[in-house]
Amino acid sequence: MRVPTGISELDAMLHGGLMRGDVTLLVGCAGTGKTTLALQYLVNGATKFHENGLYITFEHMPAQIYRDAASFGWDIRKLEAEGKLRVVCTSPPVLVQFVESRNPIDAIISEINAKRIVVDSISHLESFIPASELRGELYRLISHLKMKELTSIFTAESHEVLGNQLVVTGVGLSFLVDCIILLRIVEIQSNLKKALTVLKIRGSDHDKQLREFEITPQGIKIAAAFAQYEGVLTGAPRRSFTEEAGRAWAEAFVRKRR
Amino acid sequence: MKETSLHELMEKLMGTEIKAELLRLFHMNPGILDTVEGIARRIGRMPKDVETEISTLVELGVLRTERFGKLDVVSLNTSKDKEIQNRIATLIEGGGKR
Repeated sequence: MRVPTGISELDAMLHGGLMRGDVTLLVGCAGTGKTTLALQYLVNGATKFHENGLYITFEHMPAQIYRDAASFGWDIRKLEAEGKLRVVCTSPPVLVQFVESRNPIDAIISEINAKRIVVDSISHLESFIPASELRGELYRLISHLKMKELTSIFTAESHEVLGNQLVVTGVGLSFLVDCIILLRIVEIQSNLKKALTVLKIRGSDHDKQLREFEITPQGIKIAAAFAQYEGVLTGAPRRSFTEEAGRAWAEAFVRKRR
Repeated sequence: MKETSLHELMEKLMGTEIKAELLRLFHMNPGILDTVEGIARRIGRMPKDVETEISTLVELGVLRTERFGKLDVVSLNTSKDKEIQNRIATLIEGGGKR
């Protein structure tokens, strides 16, 4: 069963949406739109699909979330007042204690009957939890969310702005999650553009194209694939040598020879 | 809460800079659910300076603490906070004494 994000092009790429109860890792460097996409998933859930949601943030203050969301026309305070969405600002050690019985986060999930959850960003756990315990704690957290049948998005920071390296965490988080969506900055003709691709969905096929996207006043808008370029993920793509381009080059070469 | 004047109540609530910062933090961000260390970090203070002030606000009922695994987690007590805000409004309307 699928859980639509409400971003129609992304749902098409995911062949209908995220799989219910799955944990998705949304990876990107600063400024790629991770928080916007994650919030849009929750707002759409609450307003279009009757699925309430919980947003857990470590660094962003709720006041900042309310303000930023308002710029996309999303009234988070109103959704909170209606019991459809809740923003919780906490520290990683508290989130890890989330798995303890009778905890306040579970109480909020029950109170609003949350079906969707966002943790923004999971990378902060690395600063608070010893590396030797991190994978185990993440596994426990993921299992807890799955037992509650929450469809989750974890955002994660990649440190590479451009380039061909992608390191999410040193603990193999990408193996623990079910789905990975990658957001990247790419340079095309001296312009910085944003690119999105679905790297994996466990147990499902998905669109493998690398698509351009923009952050518009209505939220994330995904456009066409970077069809005329190759090596886009390296951050410095080059035009593909297409059949048409090859013919044009050959004709120009022949003309010059004459 | 026993009968107090507006001045006494305001003194208890906002008598120090840190208490005023804490109240502002929780009113602007009612979704905070954090440890004393986490809250101290959010207002740019040291935990030792914030701990006593949080205890005072917990005694007043504006904030509450819950044991959460191995951690004590502080949050805004929204119903009690509303009650105190109403009381302040009543005291202001009544000229400060009630």
